[in-house]
Amino acid sequence: MSETHKSLFAEDARTKTRNRAERRFKAYGIVAIAVGLFFLLALLTTIVSNGTRAFTQTFLTVDIALDQTVIEEAEASFVKTSKYKAIVGGALVDALESAGIATEMDEATLLKILSESAGASLREFVLSNENAIGGTVSFNFLTSSRVDGYMKGRVVRADLERDKNLDAAHLDLVDQMVEAGLVARKFNWDFIFGADASESRPEQAGIGVAMMGSFFMMLVVVGLSLPLGVAASIYLEEFAPKNRLVDLIEVNIANLAAVPSIVFGILGLAVFIQFAHLPQSAPLVGGLVLTLMTLPTVIISTRASLKSVPPSIRDAALGIGASKMQTVFHHVLPLAMPGILTGAIIGVAQALGETAPLLLIGMVGYIATNAPDGIVSGFMDPNSAMPAQIYEWAKRADPAYYERAWGGILILLAFLLVVNLGAIILRRRFERRW
Amino acid sequence: MFDQGLAERKTAMTETKISARNVQVFYGETHAIKDVNVEIADKTVTAFIGPSGCGKSTFLRCINRMNDTIDICRVEGDIHLDGEDIYDARVDPVQLRAKVGMVFQKPNPFPKSIYDNVAYGPRIHGLARSKADLDEIVEKALRRAALWDEVKDRLTAPGTGLSGGQQQRLCIARAVATAPEVLLMDEPCSALDPIATAQVEELIDELRARYSVVIVTHSMQQAARVSQKTAFFHLGNLVEFDDTDKIFTNPEDPRTESYISGRIG
Repeated sequence: MSETHKSLFAEDARTKTRNRAERRFKAYGIVAIAVGLFFLLALLTTIVSNGTRAFTQTFLTVDIALDQTVIEEAEASFVKTSKYKAIVGGALVDALESAGIATEMDEATLLKILSESAGASLREFVLSNENAIGGTVSFNFLTSSRVDGYMKGRVVRADLERDKNLDAAHLDLVDQMVEAGLVARKFNWDFIFGADASESRPEQAGIGVAMMGSFFMMLVVVGLSLPLGVAASIYLEEFAPKNRLVDLIEVNIANLAAVPSIVFGILGLAVFIQFAHLPQSAPLVGGLVLTLMTLPTVIISTRASLKSVPPSIRDAALGIGASKMQTVFHHVLPLAMPGILTGAIIGVAQALGETAPLLLIGMVGYIATNAPDGIVSGFMDPNSAMPAQIYEWAKRADPAYYERAWGGILILLAFLLVVNLGAIILRRRFERRW
Repeated sequence: MFDQGLAERKTAMTETKISARNVQVFYGETHAIKDVNVEIADKTVTAFIGPSGCGKSTFLRCINRMNDTIDICRVEGDIHLDGEDIYDARVDPVQLRAKVGMVFQKPNPFPKSIYDNVAYGPRIHGLARSKADLDEIVEKALRRAALWDEVKDRLTAPGTGLSGGQQQRLCIARAVATAPEVLLMDEPCSALDPIATAQVEELIDELRARYSVVIVTHSMQQAARVSQKTAFFHLGNLVEFDDTDKIFTNPEDPRTESYISGRIG
């Protein structure tokens, strides 16, 4: 022991610097995570607080006596829904009277409290329930988006000064009707399952039809990009000779993954619609375009997971005389499955939320008012998609649509959550111990 | 403690199973195997020894054409199995590998059940006509690999859950199940403890009754214990090939002598 004795209890200078550096690095990490969490939390609270309001809607409950002769008269007239509207109006006046609410408004002015759709929905009910004619049925009519906004705190009396549709007097009446139990906010299933409505009737708009559009598009994306992508990666990874051409293909696949999605949109417009004459705005075309966009992601992740299967497994299979294809399909592919599924889900989730390419094939801006009737119609008939519907709502003037855009985002996120959950379950099933 | 005089057992000289003539192997520009000539007899254990990187494993992998899977690898010369050139254009390497089984350095059971590990070969080669047939093949292979008694009650348990020695014996059973004629073993005991090594060595000696076994090993004691013939490789050359007794007691080449006595390698 020639050197001076150093105690283990005293930190020397170098150790101190190293420890300080480590503590600093840890602090950076914690700060980074905290910032991330803060933004995530801020995002989620905004979405949830703005979006949940879209799920409830204000309804007005009225009992209507469906009189045979009145209905026949309405059906015989030229503008049928306006006659039905008058029926609703009459019932409304009666309801106010029996609730003991006095008003000086006439029937037509009173009807402004209700959505424009009231007459049409009454007629729809009568046509599909002919047995009900002659009795009295209790109806839940949508109130107009102004009344709904008032109930949700979005609209105040001062806003109505220059409003042609609704006066402050209407709101006073609404207050009284709430007390009498005629008007109430209820959960609105039609927002989730219903169709989009015209610009003037935000209270009636739902995301259901666009959801069907997204669903059929995803069927196309999963049905095409998964088999094509997996087959291409297996060939490239396991069978293809290593030469210039294959290298070139590999580089280009990596490049494709970074191409802006709108480029795929214009490609789809040129190839699928203008050249192949597929229908515009059809989920089939949307799905094809999104497949093109998803393929590189699927191929890259599949190849990475095939690469991660240890070579000893390939040796083992080849060593007992399995052919290359047997080796791949019996051993390599099952082991790579969790990774492949992860990649596929990332691709599908990306496609589900993609709006830009849909702009060019006419799925953005299409008002999805009719639900597809059947599988072929689901693929071929014009439709919108969830992100396109959200974009559509967000750009409409009425603030009631703004609220629906947030609600639509909540549903889109729920969809993604379901897709991810499915992926996790599938991965668990395929995961094996080594 | 394992030196039970296995090596002193008389070599029953039988006909040649594999004969290699002027074999050259290139990895890209590297000349890995230089002009190897060797005759491997049937029903004999032949050991390949030599320092790391001398080409013994490379040569072993030529015998069942596992080198085909490496793109940059090129093999020249002839290797005959029962008089047939295995590098002939008409030979399907898949068929060859069914005849020439291989056990690898690291135990590599499939992440499947013990039963499925052994049954995989017979299944893909169509060796069993019925479930009962297959059961019999699996049992026989596991018995031959001295593993049956340990695993007969848990055939559905995953093969990867066995201990290292058991896994290697499972791999031997898997190789044996396809009814090969030659068994190639690439350092089969390097990942095993002494007890498992002893079990595998004992097994190799038993397998000699049916197969021509070629084993690559880093352990000269192991070569001495299990083999009847030994080939010494050095820098890609086959330096000496003779009866194991002779190689270890009276080698002709000075390089062999210095390797065995621990001066090179």
